[in-house]
Amino acid sequence: MLNSDTAIVMKSWVEAFSDKMYLWTVYKTNSKETAEDLVQDTFLAAFQSIEKFEGKSEPKTWLFGILNNKIAEHFRKAYRNPTINENDRSVHAEISLFDRFFDSDGNWKKEQRPKEWHRDEENLLDNTEFINVLRGCLSKLPNNWFAAVQLKYIEKKSGELICQELEISPTNFWQILHRAKLQLRKCLEVHWFKN
Amino acid sequence: MKKIMYLIMLSCKKVTELIEKRSLVELSFKEKIQLHLHTTMCDACTAYQKQSEKIDELLEKYIHTSDTNNSASYQNHELKEKIINNLS
Repeated sequence: MLNSDTAIVMKSWVEAFSDKMYLWTVYKTNSKETAEDLVQDTFLAAFQSIEKFEGKSEPKTWLFGILNNKIAEHFRKAYRNPTINENDRSVHAEISLFDRFFDSDGNWKKEQRPKEWHRDEENLLDNTEFINVLRGCLSKLPNNWFAAVQLKYIEKKSGELICQELEISPTNFWQILHRAKLQLRKCLEVHWFKN
Repeated sequence: MKKIMYLIMLSCKKVTELIEKRSLVELSFKEKIQLHLHTTMCDACTAYQKQSEKIDELLEKYIHTSDTNNSASYQNHELKEKIINNLS
């Protein structure tokens, strides 16, 4: 049964924080649908464990704490269960990525050899154009590669700890990151640094 | 000497993998030497390493900043209704 005091409090929190939480989650997951689901899950979890909220922290801090756990959990799931998306990107990407960059000896193909980037602006992340390029490049990564990238930075945990939580070997994890980085680097080069 | 170099020298593919590995775990002594030797001789991997570190720096900042300030007036009424309906 919904206790009416709790209901009033929860409603006021939804009014006050759900928009910010939604935007935050869209920003992290690159997906509006996922963001809606995670924000709903967060309020449900908050509602079910409201007795644990003792007013020691701000409601906003408490809710974002739950939300961030949900986001990390989402990426762990995405990493473990890569969904084949509309273009079969993840399968396709695995096979052709290394061939695209390296010859049969594993050395850079001539036209792919990285050269220094000369474009070097300060505070790139304040530049909306660059943010759009970065977002575009991130969204082209297969789901589980994107999840690996997020997990690497999101929690500031050690590589070993991330792998423990994912129940995978560290080798597997940095190999995925290696592929993701090769693709991301190329995409940023083509769409930004070589412009 | 050529044979020794061959044993120590890694391919660019392997070296770029070590560069990513290094940002997660500490490399073994042998791997450190291999990475160092290769990058002193290979401009492409040196450029890759620099760019990889720059991307790390950008992503780290990107993931920890929120651009919600730009959209302070954003309202998702539909979502609010859904949440409230879920709870009751």
